[in-house]
Amino acid sequence: MSSASEPVIRAAGLTKVFRSPDKAPGLSGSLRHLVRPRHTNRAAVNSVDLTIGRGEAVAYVGANGAGKSTTVKLLAGILIPSSGTVRVAGVDPHRDRLVNARQIGVLFGQRSQLWWDLTVRDSLEVLRDLYGVSRTQFTERLDEFDEVLGLGKLLPVVARRLSLGQRMRADLAATFLHGPAIVYLDEPTIGLDIAAKDSVRMFLRQRVAAGTTILMTSHDLRDIEDVCRRLIIIDDGRIIFDGDLGRAKDAYARQRQLSVQVDAPVDLAALRAGLPEAQVEQGASTRELVVVFDRFAHRATEVLDALTRQVDVVDFRLQEPQIEDVVRRVYRGELLVLPPQGVDA
Amino acid sequence: MTGEWMRTARLYVRLLGAQLRAAAQYKADFLVMIFAAVLSQGVGLIFLAALFARVPHLDGWSFWLVALMYAMVTVAEGIGSLLFEGTWRLAAMVNSGELDYLLVRPYPVALQLMSSAVGFNGLGNLVLGTAMIVVALCYAPLQWSPLQGLILVLLAGSAVVVKLAMNLATNAASFWLQGRNPVVAYAMHQVGELARYPLGIYPVGLRVVLTTVVPFAFTSYYPVSYLADGVDATIGLLTPAVAVACVFIAIWVFRRGLRRYESAGS
Repeated sequence: MSSASEPVIRAAGLTKVFRSPDKAPGLSGSLRHLVRPRHTNRAAVNSVDLTIGRGEAVAYVGANGAGKSTTVKLLAGILIPSSGTVRVAGVDPHRDRLVNARQIGVLFGQRSQLWWDLTVRDSLEVLRDLYGVSRTQFTERLDEFDEVLGLGKLLPVVARRLSLGQRMRADLAATFLHGPAIVYLDEPTIGLDIAAKDSVRMFLRQRVAAGTTILMTSHDLRDIEDVCRRLIIIDDGRIIFDGDLGRAKDAYARQRQLSVQVDAPVDLAALRAGLPEAQVEQGASTRELVVVFDRFAHRATEVLDALTRQVDVVDFRLQEPQIEDVVRRVYRGELLVLPPQGVDA
Repeated sequence: MTGEWMRTARLYVRLLGAQLRAAAQYKADFLVMIFAAVLSQGVGLIFLAALFARVPHLDGWSFWLVALMYAMVTVAEGIGSLLFEGTWRLAAMVNSGELDYLLVRPYPVALQLMSSAVGFNGLGNLVLGTAMIVVALCYAPLQWSPLQGLILVLLAGSAVVVKLAMNLATNAASFWLQGRNPVVAYAMHQVGELARYPLGIYPVGLRVVLTTVVPFAFTSYYPVSYLADGVDATIGLLTPAVAVACVFIAIWVFRRGLRRYESAGS
């Protein structure tokens, strides 16, 4: 995995502690807090070790408040670690902020970086000047981005008039405008419809193919499957899973589900006897069946054969395991954590 | 090195220009703000004239010299609003986490902040204040020489820098307070209004504070003292040094604050 390429992001023992006030509710609580302030310390990110190789596409996944955004902000140099170290392409992102800013791109899906009252083109032009991108390169990049992002139509529109999907596409162009080697994306598809999500994913796949290192957070597991090769799961500030996405699926998302429509009622007991490793259940009606099976114990054709021996299959639908299942099970604590990256590499 | 300075200055103008284009969409806003600025400054001036209609001198200062002090603060505020209005947005940016994007761009955060808004009211202040300075200089009993003119420019420039640096430093308090409004900066701005009049009218304690802790007296009183050869003429000559010190302190405070920035959200 990451050992194959030269590491570009390295974090060791990365920790960020936030101090929040303990206030009793209401005005009296606020007044009491003024007189005798009490605080609670909470580690939003707790001893995170992370090594990401050049050109890797990493999904950073976790529940709300697990510490995803905080990690991104630490790596981007927005926040200073309470302890631990970060190196991004050899520089400390906070201390060498200006150097780091030139090599990274950042997108926070919840917040736009465009100038609210300017057209998209004007905003991009300002960024062009800030990053010192040449006019030729600027035009080339916009043309390149235009294919997937449909930028052309957005350029003359004032940012505040953009729909969410349009805004995100314009923001993506802004993030990648200066050709950053490393890009952090914090929920780049949040709130988007299917079509907009698709164009965001396609765009990101292209950027990864072009060699950009990407770390992205998302709650949409399709994003992750479409764009990333590596999965990191964070829970309560700690990394609880770090490994290859495909292997994680092989190891933990083995359950396929076959939904079948048949032309006559089925003898479930006989079917169960024929498929001892699978779970066979009645569906919504007597003519519907749901078979859940381990894809390493049975092949899908085996299951279908067993069914057709008894009844005529009218229609069927096979549901592949989703990475969502893996994440859900890791959250529930059902899964053993894989050895962290670097130990097995 | 000079190239880097040039780039910094050019980009500042560029960022401010972007805000100007953005603000140009709201033309009524533009006119109303200028009118409001002229009105509020004019009211102060009317008060000053009314006061001097009753008393010939204020702590030994004649009307035109006090008008000069008054106008210097007006001009400094005008320049602050017109070119550095963004400073006042820090509290909101810290509170909402908007500062995030500023921190990942290859340009100083403080300059991105200061150029993030344009206050057209500044134009009103600037025009009115400059007119007042010109008139006051014509009528005030001053000895003129080319050197004196040069020193005037230097002192007036330094006075503006003191004001701007104080704005930045007091707004940087928002890094600690984290509230939505720049309460400390507003309060200090009001304190700064005291500098529109001769320092001698205030009690000793306040005079010391306005000279050292929050050196607003250097935005008007001390430079005018030097020009008029008043009691505090020598201190007036220190204005450029105070300006440099204020800039360094403001940058230091801002940097310390930035280290505390916690962004917002999860």
